[in-house]
Amino acid sequence: MTVAPERPTRDWPIVAPPQYEGSRIPTPIPTVLPLPDALAQSDDVLRINFGPNHPSTHGVLRLIVDLDGEQVVGLSAVIGYLHTGFEKTMEHKTWWKCITYPERIDYVGYQNNELTFVLAVEKLLELETPEKAVWMRTLLCELSRIHSHLVYLGTSALELGAISMFWYCFREREMILDLFEMVTGARMHTRYFQVGGLAEDIPEGFYPQCRTFVEWMPRALEDYLALLDRNQIWLERTKGIGLLSADDAIALGQTGPILRASGVDWDLRRDQPYLAYGQVDFQVPVYPNGDVYDRYRVRVDEMRESTRIVEQCLRRLERLRGRPWIADDRKVVLPPREELHTSMESLIHHFKIVTEGYRVPEGEVYVATESPRGEQGCYLVSEGGPKPWRVHFRAPSFVALEATAACTHDALIADLIAIVGSLDAVMGDTDR
Amino acid sequence: MAKRLRDYGLQSERLLWPTKGPSHFEEEMGADELERALGLTTLEKAVRWAQTRSMWPDTFGLACCAIEMMSIVSSRYDIARFGMEAFRSSPRQADLLIVSGRVAHKMAAPLRQIYDQMLEPKWVIAMGACASSGGMFNNYTILQGVDRIVPVDIYVPFCPPRPEALMEGIIRLHEAHRAGVPPAYERKEVAT
Amino acid sequence: MSYGKLPGFVAEHEAFGETTVTVEAASMRDACEYARDALGFAMLCDIVATDYLNWGGKGVSGYIATASGRDINFPSTQGLQTLPEVKPKRFSVSYHLLALRQPPERVRLKCWVDDGEPVPSVVSVWPTADWHEREQFDLMGIAFTGHPNLSRILMEDDWDGHPLRKDYPLGGEPVRFSDAQ
Repeated sequence: MTVAPERPTRDWPIVAPPQYEGSRIPTPIPTVLPLPDALAQSDDVLRINFGPNHPSTHGVLRLIVDLDGEQVVGLSAVIGYLHTGFEKTMEHKTWWKCITYPERIDYVGYQNNELTFVLAVEKLLELETPEKAVWMRTLLCELSRIHSHLVYLGTSALELGAISMFWYCFREREMILDLFEMVTGARMHTRYFQVGGLAEDIPEGFYPQCRTFVEWMPRALEDYLALLDRNQIWLERTKGIGLLSADDAIALGQTGPILRASGVDWDLRRDQPYLAYGQVDFQVPVYPNGDVYDRYRVRVDEMRESTRIVEQCLRRLERLRGRPWIADDRKVVLPPREELHTSMESLIHHFKIVTEGYRVPEGEVYVATESPRGEQGCYLVSEGGPKPWRVHFRAPSFVALEATAACTHDALIADLIAIVGSLDAVMGDTDR
Repeated sequence: MAKRLRDYGLQSERLLWPTKGPSHFEEEMGADELERALGLTTLEKAVRWAQTRSMWPDTFGLACCAIEMMSIVSSRYDIARFGMEAFRSSPRQADLLIVSGRVAHKMAAPLRQIYDQMLEPKWVIAMGACASSGGMFNNYTILQGVDRIVPVDIYVPFCPPRPEALMEGIIRLHEAHRAGVPPAYERKEVAT
Repeated sequence: MSYGKLPGFVAEHEAFGETTVTVEAASMRDACEYARDALGFAMLCDIVATDYLNWGGKGVSGYIATASGRDINFPSTQGLQTLPEVKPKRFSVSYHLLALRQPPERVRLKCWVDDGEPVPSVVSVWPTADWHEREQFDLMGIAFTGHPNLSRILMEDDWDGHPLRKDYPLGGEPVRFSDAQ
C-alpha cells in the first residue's frame, strides 16, 4: 500500500474531512493499479480487455483489467485511439481557420473549447471584446455546460441500467440544440466565437425561446432527481463507490466536478473570473464524500446554477439589443460587407485578413477556463506570424482518466463502469 | 380467368390431409377477396423487406458524430420507427456498422476486426466527413476515409451530420437494399 | 511572490499578466518540489514541450495586428522589422502550476533542453505528471529520467519518430483540385 506524501499545511480550500486514511494513489506507476503479489502467480486471475469498442458510450477507451472473480485487482488504461493531431494541424492553419479545430476536441462541451482558444488569442492581441459579446459568450458557455451534463447524466444512467434517463436528458438536450441552431446556424460545432466577439448578431427569436427553456429546466431537473435520487438501486450503485480523497485529487491534478465532489471548494468561474462570471450571482456546489454519487449530485446542481446564470445573462442581453457584437479592430476582424463597396481601407483589410490572415504578436500565454469537465487550458505560443507556432490544450479528461486507478479500490467490475462514467471523460479531449 | 388460390398448388396442409376441402378462411372470405387480401412476393423480396425493417446497428461511436448518432436514438428523431433502436454491443449480433467519427491509425485495426466479426449480410455507413474522407484532418494520424479498410455502402457528409441527414442515409440504404443492390463487400474492393 | 530561491533559478519574466520562471533543466525536480512545498503550488496543471526549430524564419515580422505593433492607420509610420528573440536551445519544457488559494496564483516554470538532453521527472512530486510526461515524450521526444513507465501513450507503441517536432511532416495525403490538371 502507499504512504501519504508529506503535505505542508496550507490554506487549500478543503471543506470536508478526509474520505480515507493515507493515499490510494498506486505506486510505482500512479495510473496503473498493480496486481498484488499474492495473486501474481495465481491461475484465478483473468485479464480482460475492455476494448476500444464497448457499449458504455465513452468512446474509444481501452482498459486492461485483471479480475479475481468479480473483483478488480489490476487496472491500466490505454488511450490514443482517437489521437487526431489537433496541435500539429493547427500549426499549419491561419489563426482564423484554427477556430474550427478546438471545438472538436471536447465534442460534448464544444463551446468551452472554442472559448479557451479564442480567449488565448485575444490575450496575446490584447483585444477587448464588446459587452454584448462577453455576455452572450457567458450564456452560451453555460448552455454548453448544461448540455454536457445532460449527456453525462443520460449516458451514465444508461450504463448503470437506468435506461429511461437517456430519453429524458436528450429531450432537454434537443431544446438546447435548437437554441444553438437558432443563434449560430449549427447544432454542434458552431464556430460562433470569433477573435474579437461573436460571428453574427443574436436573432430576435432567441430571447423568448431561451426564456421558455430557462423556465422549463428546473422542472426537468426535478424529474431527474425524482427518477434517480430516491431510487434504491441507483443509491446502492453509486454511494461509496470510487472514493477519491481531496489530497489525492489535488495530487492527481483533478479539477472541476471531480474535485468539488471530493470536498475542495474550487471553481475557476468564481475564483479566477473570466467573461462575465464576476458579475453574475451563482453558487458552487461542493460535496464531501468523493464518491460517484457526489459527482452526480455536483453535476445536477451545476445544471441548476447554470440555468440561473443563463437567466441573468438573458436579462442583461435583452437590454443590450442593437449594440455591436464584435470588436472594431479592422486589422483582426473583418469589416462589414457594406463598407467594402465604399471604403478602400476596408477592402485592403478584408483582403489581408482573408488571404494571409492577421498576425498575432510574439509571446506565449496559458489561459484556463472552467469547462464542464474541469480546467480546460490553452497554451499558445505565437511567433508573430499568421499561424500559431505551438498550441497545446490542457485536457481535463486526460487528467481525469489518470485517476481511474486510484478510484478503483476494492471495486467490482460493475463498479468500474460507474467509476469511469462518473469521471466523465470524453475521448476526443483525452487524445486530442 | 383469374387463377384461384388452390390453382397455385399451395399444398402445405393438403399434403398431410389430402381429402381436406377448402378451409374456413377461404370459404368465409370468398376466393376473390382472398386474392386481393394476400400479398404475393418472391422469397428474396420478403427477406429483404424483413432485413431492412430491423437492421441493428453496432455501437461504434468514435467521436462527435457519435453524439449525433445518440440523438437519433432519442425521442425526437426516433430511429425505433425503423426498428433500429437496438444497438448491439457485440458485432456478431449486428447488421450495420455506422462508423461515426474520425478513425485514427491506432483504431484502424480494431475497426477492421469488428467489421470482420460481423456476419453477412452486413452494411457500413461512413457517417460524417471524417469517416468518409478524413474530413478536416489531413495529417499523420487520421485515416483518410474509412473506405480504405472497410467497403462502405453509404457516405453521409457534414460535420457532424444532422440526425435527419443520418436518417436519410439510413433510409437510402434501406431503399437500395430493397431494390436489390448487394451490400458493398460484394460490389467493390476496399479503396487503396 | 519571490522566485529567487528556487533551486536552479535562472531568470524571471512577466508578460501578459503571467509569470514565467526559467530554471535549469537538471534541477527541475528540486525546483518543482520547492514550488509545491514552500511556495504552495499544489497542483500541476500541464506540462508542455515546445520545439523552436527554425524559430524566427522569414515571413515573421513587420505588419503586426495590434498590441504596440505597426499601426497601419498612420501612413507615415515606418514599418520596422521586428524579429522574435532568439531562443537559447531547441526545446523548452514548461510546467504550469496552480496555487489553490484566494487569489489564485499561476506560474510557469520553464527549462531549456537540446535534443536528447534529459529532464528529471516530477512524478514523485505530483503523480499527475505521469501521463503528461509520457505525452511529451511520445509527441516531442523529451527524455524524462526517473519516470516509472516512459512509453508511448497517444501514438502506437511501435511508431517511429516524434510527430509534433517541427522536422516531422504533417502527413496526410495531397489533395487534388480539378483545375490543377
